Amino acid sequence: MQLSASQRSAHHGREAPRTGTRGRVSIAAAVIVGSLALSACGSSQSGSQQASATTQAPQSGGALTYAVDKTQLTLDPAVSAQSVTALIDRNIFDSLVVQTGPSSFGPWLATRWTTSPDGKTYTFHLRRGVTFHDGTPFTAAAVKASLDHVVDPKTASQYAASLLPTYEGSKVIAPDQVQIRLSAPFRPLLQALSTAYLGIQSPKALALPVGKYAPVGTGPFKYGSWVNKKNVTLNRAASYASAPSNAKHTGAAYLDRLNFQLISEDQTRYGALTSNQVQGIAAVPPSDVASLKSSSSAQVLSVPQPGNSYSLYFQVKSGPLADVRVRKALSAAIDVKTLIKTVYFGQFPAATNPLGPTTAYHDASAGQELQGFDLATAKRLLDEAGWTTVNSSGYRTKDGKQLTVEWPTLAVNESASDNTLGQGIVANAKAAGIDLRRPSLDVGAYIDAVKKTKYSVIDAGGGRADPDILRFLYGAKQTFLTGGGNTSLVASPQLDGWLNDGLVSSEPTKLAADYSAAQKYILSNAFQLPLHDNVSIAGFSKTVKGVASDVSGYPLFYSAWLDD
Amino acid sequence: MSTLDITHEPDPGRAASGLLVTGNLRARRPSVVAAALLLALLAVAAVWPSAFASHPNQPDLGAAFRGPSPTHLLGTDQLGRDTFARLVHGTRTSLLIGLGGTALAAAGGALWGLVAALGGRIADEVTMRIADILMAFPSLLLALVVVSVLGPGQENVLLAIGLSLMPIFARIVRIQAKVVASSLYVSSARGLGVSPLRIVVGHVLPNVGPSVLVIATMNVGGAIIAGASLSFLGLGGSASSPDWGSMLAETRGYLQADWWLPVAPGLAITLTVVALSVVGRAMQQRAKGSGR
Amino acid sequence: MHYRRWVVRRLWLGILVIWGAATTSFVALQLLPGNPALVIAGGGNNYPSEATLRAVERTYGFDKSIVTQYLTFLGRLLRGDFGDSYQLHQPVGSILSSQAAASAELAAGGAIIGALVGVAVALATAGRPRAAGAARCLELLAVSTPGFWIGLVLLSLFSFDLHLFPVIGNDGVSSLVLPWITLALPVAGSTSLVMREEMEQALVQPFALTVRARGVSESRLRSRHLLKHTAPPVLTLSSWIVGQLFGGVVVIEQVFARDGLGQTLVAAVEGRDLPVVTGVVVFVAVVFVLVNFVVDGLYLAVDPRLRRQPA
Repeated sequence: MQLSASQRSAHHGREAPRTGTRGRVSIAAAVIVGSLALSACGSSQSGSQQASATTQAPQSGGALTYAVDKTQLTLDPAVSAQSVTALIDRNIFDSLVVQTGPSSFGPWLATRWTTSPDGKTYTFHLRRGVTFHDGTPFTAAAVKASLDHVVDPKTASQYAASLLPTYEGSKVIAPDQVQIRLSAPFRPLLQALSTAYLGIQSPKALALPVGKYAPVGTGPFKYGSWVNKKNVTLNRAASYASAPSNAKHTGAAYLDRLNFQLISEDQTRYGALTSNQVQGIAAVPPSDVASLKSSSSAQVLSVPQPGNSYSLYFQVKSGPLADVRVRKALSAAIDVKTLIKTVYFGQFPAATNPLGPTTAYHDASAGQELQGFDLATAKRLLDEAGWTTVNSSGYRTKDGKQLTVEWPTLAVNESASDNTLGQGIVANAKAAGIDLRRPSLDVGAYIDAVKKTKYSVIDAGGGRADPDILRFLYGAKQTFLTGGGNTSLVASPQLDGWLNDGLVSSEPTKLAADYSAAQKYILSNAFQLPLHDNVSIAGFSKTVKGVASDVSGYPLFYSAWLDD
Repeated sequence: MSTLDITHEPDPGRAASGLLVTGNLRARRPSVVAAALLLALLAVAAVWPSAFASHPNQPDLGAAFRGPSPTHLLGTDQLGRDTFARLVHGTRTSLLIGLGGTALAAAGGALWGLVAALGGRIADEVTMRIADILMAFPSLLLALVVVSVLGPGQENVLLAIGLSLMPIFARIVRIQAKVVASSLYVSSARGLGVSPLRIVVGHVLPNVGPSVLVIATMNVGGAIIAGASLSFLGLGGSASSPDWGSMLAETRGYLQADWWLPVAPGLAITLTVVALSVVGRAMQQRAKGSGR
Repeated sequence: MHYRRWVVRRLWLGILVIWGAATTSFVALQLLPGNPALVIAGGGNNYPSEATLRAVERTYGFDKSIVTQYLTFLGRLLRGDFGDSYQLHQPVGSILSSQAAASAELAAGGAIIGALVGVAVALATAGRPRAAGAARCLELLAVSTPGFWIGLVLLSLFSFDLHLFPVIGNDGVSSLVLPWITLALPVAGSTSLVMREEMEQALVQPFALTVRARGVSESRLRSRHLLKHTAPPVLTLSSWIVGQLFGGVVVIEQVFARDGLGQTLVAAVEGRDLPVVTGVVVFVAVVFVLVNFVVDGLYLAVDPRLRRQPA
C-alpha cells in the first residue's frame, strides 16, 4: 500500500493509506491527552492554550462539527485505505489493544494477552459485558468474524489485510477468550490490532450484504447517517463503558453528536473555521497556521506523526538512478531544508531519516549518512558518473543522451503545497543539470507506470507507525506487484536480513541494532531522499476542549467537550 | 465552461451577435483600439516573452511572498519566483490553449460541417446525430472525460477543449454551407460540371470562412476559461512552463493573506477574454456590414 | 399532423442521443489507461492479491468479453438499472436521486436569478447609451471571469470576512446565496448582452415607432412589446445556458463544498466508477434532450416563420 505519492499526506488528512496506526502513542501521550495544544513541535506552541483544559470540569452535551478535506468511499475499516475512514471509524470501533508508546501497548477490548514461544499464537482474554451498538454481545466470535472479514478476498481490503500478512485463522476458545494463529511470526501484530482498520465489528452487521453495510462497533459513538460527499453524523453511545486503558475518562463520551463535514477546498475549510461555521478542521493549510495560532478564537493541534518520512524514493534497478553517484548527485542538488521551510511555512520539520522521529527504533545518528545539499558536490558526482557534457538547455548529457529523470505523481492526491515543493525540487535539479520531469497522472495511469517501472522517482510517506514499514518499503519480496511498497526495487540480502529480524525478534536491543543498521544502509546508498517528517495539523475553535490525539496525530473525540 | 460559445443554433448569426458588445462600432472605437492593443501586446508576449521578463521558473526561496515592488512589479510567489515574469511567460501556454483549442475545433468542425452539408443525406444524418450526442455533454463534462482518458497535461487540455467545441462549428458550417450550396450560382456551377472539391474551395469556404472566424474569435475566450477551470479541478497537469490557469489554481490558497498572488493571473484571464470579446464583436460588425 | 410528426421525430432523436451518450461513456471508460479491477481493489494505493483481483473481476464481470459487457450494460440501461457503484456499493439510481436534487436546486436558482437580473438590466438600459455602456462593461466582466474565481472572491469577502452567508450546513437559502450569485453572474451577463442587442434593433424598427405614436408609454413598450420581440434569441440562449450551467455546477460545488452531481461525477471519473459516470452522463443527456425539446417547441410557438422549416 504504500506506494504512492500521495499516500503520505497524513498531515493533509487525505488518503493516507500508509497510516496504519490509530492507536495512541504516548510520546506525546502525557502531553496530549486532555490538552489541545499539545505538540511535540516545540516552538510552535503557545502555553496559554494548555492551561484552559485543566481548570474546568468537562461539560456534557452539544454537537461538534469537524471539517475534513477528503471524503471516504466506505466506512468499513476493513476495506478502506483512507485515513479519513480511520478518523471517523475510530469513534465507532474499539480495538483489542491500545498503543501507548512507540512500542508499548495497553488493554482495551482485551484485558490481557499471551504470546506463544514461537511467536505464532496470540491468546487474548476479552473484556466482559460489552455490547455492540446493535445489541449484539461482544465475544470471541466477534473478534474472529472481524478478522476473517478483513482477510476474505471478497472484502477486497485495500489496507487492513496487509496488516495481517501471516494470519492463518482465529479460534474461539471460550466466549471471552480468542486465539489468533499466524503462519509465521509477525512482531507488529499488536500495533496492527491497535489500529482502527482492525477495529472489532458486530458479526450481525458484517453478515449483511455489502450494499447494506453500516459500521457497528462498541465505540463511544454510534453511526447515525452518511450523506455522500457531504457529511457523516455520529451519535453518543450512552452506555459506553469500554474506554481504552490510557483514556482521560471512562464512561460515555461528552459530546451528544459528532459531525464530519467534507470541505475539500483548503481556503473554504479554513474560512469555515475562522468564521465559526465549524468547530474544527483537518489539514490546516500550512500557510494559515501562523494566523490561526495568533487568533483569539482558534487553536492549533499540531502533532508529529510516526512512520516513514515524506521522501523521494529512487528506483535503483534501471535508468539513470541505478548509479549511486547520480542518486547522491540528485540528493546533493536539492536544498531540502530551505525548500521545506519555505513551502510549508516552517510547520513541517525537514527530515534526515527514513523514519519519523517518533517512530520506534528511529536512530537520529543515521542522518550523518545522508548526502546533504551541496551544489558543487552534485556537479562533481555527475562528472564522476560520466554525465560530463552540458547541452544547450543546460542539462547534463552522456553519450548524447540527456540526463532525464521521471517522477510521476498522482494528480488526485496532490495538494497545492506538494505541487509547489515539486516545482521547487525540479528547479533545484535543473541547477545541477538534471532534467527532473514530473508528469501528473490519474490513478489508472499511475498504477500502470509503477507496474511497468516507467519511473525513476516516486514520492511517498506517512506509513504505519512501526519500523516494520521499512521492510514493506525495501524488502526484496515487497514489490508493487506482490502488494508491497518497494518502489525503489532494492534487493539487498543484507537489508533483508536486518528487516526480517525486525519482524520476528522480540528482543529490544537486537531490534534497535537491526533497525539502526537498516536506516544507515538506506541513507548511505541513497535509496531515498527524506524531505519532511509528517505532522498532523488540526485547527479547533477555542470553545473545544479535551481533544486528544492518537499515535498518528489524528484527533480523538472521545473526551472532547464544548465550553460555551 | 466556455462562456461565449454558442451551441444550439437554428440561426447562428443571431445568438452570436447578441453575445457581442452592442451599439455602434464607431462610438466604441476607443475600447476596440484598447482591446486590440492589449491583444497585440499579448501576442508579442506569447511569441517573445523574454522581451518583457526572464527566469519565470527561477525560485528565490529567501524572497517568497514579496509584495509588488520596483524589482518585482507584481511581487513574488510562494517559491520567490517573479509573478510578472510568470505571467508573461504564461501568456504563450494560455493563449495556446485558447487559440489552439479553438483552431482545432474550427478546423475539425468545418470539415465535419462540410461533410454533413455536401456528403449526402446519410452522411448528414450520421454526422449531425454524432454532433447531437456530443452536444448533449456539457463542454466541461466532455473535457473532463477526455482529460481522464488521455491523462492530464496541457496538450490534452487543448485537445479536450477542441473536441468539446467542435460540434458547435460543425453545425454552423453545415447550415451556412447548405445555404451556399443551394444558391443559384453554385447549382449552376454544378450544372456546368465543376468538381465538388472546387465548389467547396472556390465557393463554399470563402462564404463560410468569415462566420467561422467570428465564432472562433468569440470562443477563444471561453476556451481560455475552460482551460483555467480544468486546472482548477486539478486536471491541467503540472508543466514546466507556467500558465495562468495553474497559476490561479496554485495560488488560490493565498487569497486572504497575499491577495495579489491569485489576483494577477485572474485579472490576466479576465482582461484577455474581455479584449477578445470586444475585438471579436468589432470583427463581426464589420463582417455583417460587408456581407449585407 | 405536422406537430405529431415533429414530436415523434424528436422522440427518436432523443433516444438516439441518450443511447449515444451512454455508449460514449462506456467506450471512454474502456479507453482509460489501467485495469479497472486494480483501481477498485487497490484504490491506486496498493496492489491487491491475485485472489482479490479475481474476485473483483468476477463481481463486476470484467472477466467477460467487451461485447458481453456492453450488451449487459445496454440491457440494464433499458430497464433503467445503472447497476451499483463500484466505489460506494449503492445503487446508482439512489446516488443520482440524492445528488440531483442538490445540483438542481443550485442550477435552477442560479439560472432564474441570472435570467431575471439579465432581463431587468436589458430592459432598463436598452437604447440608453450611457447606462448601456456601463452595464456592458459589467456584463463583459461577468462573462469573462472564471466562475471558480468569482466564487472564491465572494466566499472570502462575504462569508469569511463579513460573516454574512455561511458556506456549509443546512441553513437552506442562506448557504445557497453565494453559489447562486456566482452561477447567476455569467447567466445574467450573457442574457442581458443578447437581449439588449435585440431590443436596440427592435427599438429602431417601424413597429416601435407605431406603438409609440399610439401613445403607449415607454415602460409599457419595453415590458410588453419588446420583450415579446426578443423571445426567440433568448430561447436560443437558454438552451446554451443549460449546457453551461452544468459546467458551472461542477466547479461551484467544489468551491463551496456542496454535494451534488458535479462532485459525484468528478470523483467517479477519477475512481473509474463506470456505473456512476454513465448514470450522470445519461441523466444530463436526458435533461439536455428535454430542454431542447421544450425550447424548440416554444420556438415553433413564438416564431411562426420556423414552422415551415424542417425541424
